[in-house]
Amino acid sequence: MNTSFGRLLRAELKLMLRDPLVLTFVFVFPVLTMLIIGGSFGTKPSSGFANRNPAHWYVASYLTVVIAATGLIMLPVHLASYRERGVLRRFAAAGFPRWSFALAQLVVGLIAVAAASAVELGVAAPVYGIPALHEFWRVALGIGLGAVAFVSLGVLLGTLLPSARAAQAVGLMLFFPSFLLGAGGPPPNALPQAMRSIANLLPLSQVTDAIRDPWLGLGAASSSLIVVAVLAMAASTLAARRAAL
Amino acid sequence: MCSARRAAIVPAMITNSVVTVRGLQKCYGRRRVVDGVDLDVLEGEVVGLIGANGAGKTTTVECIQGLRRPDAGTLRVLGLDPVTEAERLRPLIGSQLQDSALPDRLRVAEAVELFSPRRARGGEALLEQFGLAERRRSAFASLSGGERQRLFLVLALLGRPRLVILDELTQGLDPSARRNVWAAVSQLRDEGTTVLLVTHELGDAEALCDRVVAMRAGRILDSGPPAELVDRHARRAKIRFGLEHGAHAGASSDALLDELRGVVGVERVERNGLRVTVYGDRRAIAHVGAVLVRNCSVPADLSVQIPTLEDALLGLLDGAEPHAFSSDDHDYHLIGAMQ
Repeated sequence: MNTSFGRLLRAELKLMLRDPLVLTFVFVFPVLTMLIIGGSFGTKPSSGFANRNPAHWYVASYLTVVIAATGLIMLPVHLASYRERGVLRRFAAAGFPRWSFALAQLVVGLIAVAAASAVELGVAAPVYGIPALHEFWRVALGIGLGAVAFVSLGVLLGTLLPSARAAQAVGLMLFFPSFLLGAGGPPPNALPQAMRSIANLLPLSQVTDAIRDPWLGLGAASSSLIVVAVLAMAASTLAARRAAL
Repeated sequence: MCSARRAAIVPAMITNSVVTVRGLQKCYGRRRVVDGVDLDVLEGEVVGLIGANGAGKTTTVECIQGLRRPDAGTLRVLGLDPVTEAERLRPLIGSQLQDSALPDRLRVAEAVELFSPRRARGGEALLEQFGLAERRRSAFASLSGGERQRLFLVLALLGRPRLVILDELTQGLDPSARRNVWAAVSQLRDEGTTVLLVTHELGDAEALCDRVVAMRAGRILDSGPPAELVDRHARRAKIRFGLEHGAHAGASSDALLDELRGVVGVERVERNGLRVTVYGDRRAIAHVGAVLVRNCSVPADLSVQIPTLEDALLGLLDGAEPHAFSSDDHDYHLIGAMQ
């Protein structure tokens, strides 16, 4: 694969694995917090967790943390840093088509989600076990659409924010509330009503519902899946426009 | 207010022209940064686009590369339109851009692989040629300023581009690194590569360019070979020497100075104690020397100052009146200012 896109993708994949921000937030943080939170509530099914094993609840929820870290932190910072330092101009001047960089970022983001999810499940398996998948295709669809939505959102933020520092600040501001209320924090039943209402509005909560519910047999979460699909379509269209795809 | 229309005139093509620009205009908001530039770069030429910061040089070459869309004017680069045929054109151009970088963790060899056009060879040879072979596993962030510029040159030359555009290539380099880069560009010239060099360093332009195009406030002020520009804008030379106590005492020295005042090309002779300064055009250098030899009074401290391109164009590019010498010569303004 010696096309300009292929060369760009290869280089970007290597760079991803050398970036401490990526390794910390996409690969280490979700696993570490999953181990801590997952171990905090024991393994006995509890009403607070819809009568499911709390550890399994978090194993199923934390794939979304990987998706959020990729889309809200890794990609915006990476892209904004390239724009700020003139790396994108250099690529453009060297004849890389404008779409090739955006597409490479999309693919890198999806590969990051897949790899970090595999690491998370690989660590969870011997510690808490992997919960049985009740509806495989719905879970797969939820992960796929959620990843496309947040990776596109990351590309979009990276093309809008003026600098790497701004991208880091905005990314962290979006990531932590989403993480605490929409994926890796207390279960929704433990939240006060006002917090729960806010949590329901978060895009990441919709992705979490679309993955966790069919995974643990809590329901099809069709409405969440539709919201995630719309989000994926809107974010990818806007990202493509910004990147002049 | 800037016009947004593009002229529909096809530029008059010069047979071996690599770059043809006619009536180029570009505005950023209401500020016009390029204002009616006409430019030709012929095959095998090293052309320097020089001017102070903000003169419009970089915007001009960005339009030539298709990185910016002109507001008006026409451009043909290697027979292609940089606006409508940018994707075909860019692989034919090797570029070193001002204020651009590579990813910090990208290694030198990886950068060469990334920027090598399909089926291009010679990356390793270029790394050897520019003294970067030992650094092929080093990350971009760990390279010195000179190494980075040499790497940018390597990347610009991958795939043997027909046109190489180098924007502020020696910016921030120490004198030794600058000499290395000059040697590299000289080699390109010897190989017949067409080079468009953008710089505000007049020393770079004088050392490297076959032809120099001087820009100010978005317009071209003058162009020509460096020696021709010096001749046009800073003809004066300055000859200095000291009178010896014994040999040039009293009437003898007065006679010598009178004779010098009558020499061909001499415009003025000044005496300050035992120090004599003769101002004139460059012909005066030989004639003054001849007078000194004839009088058997060749001074041991004779010095001749010949104007450089910087002397000729510095004032012009900065927007002030050009002058030949500035340090101790405030009253001595260039006679043949811009023509």
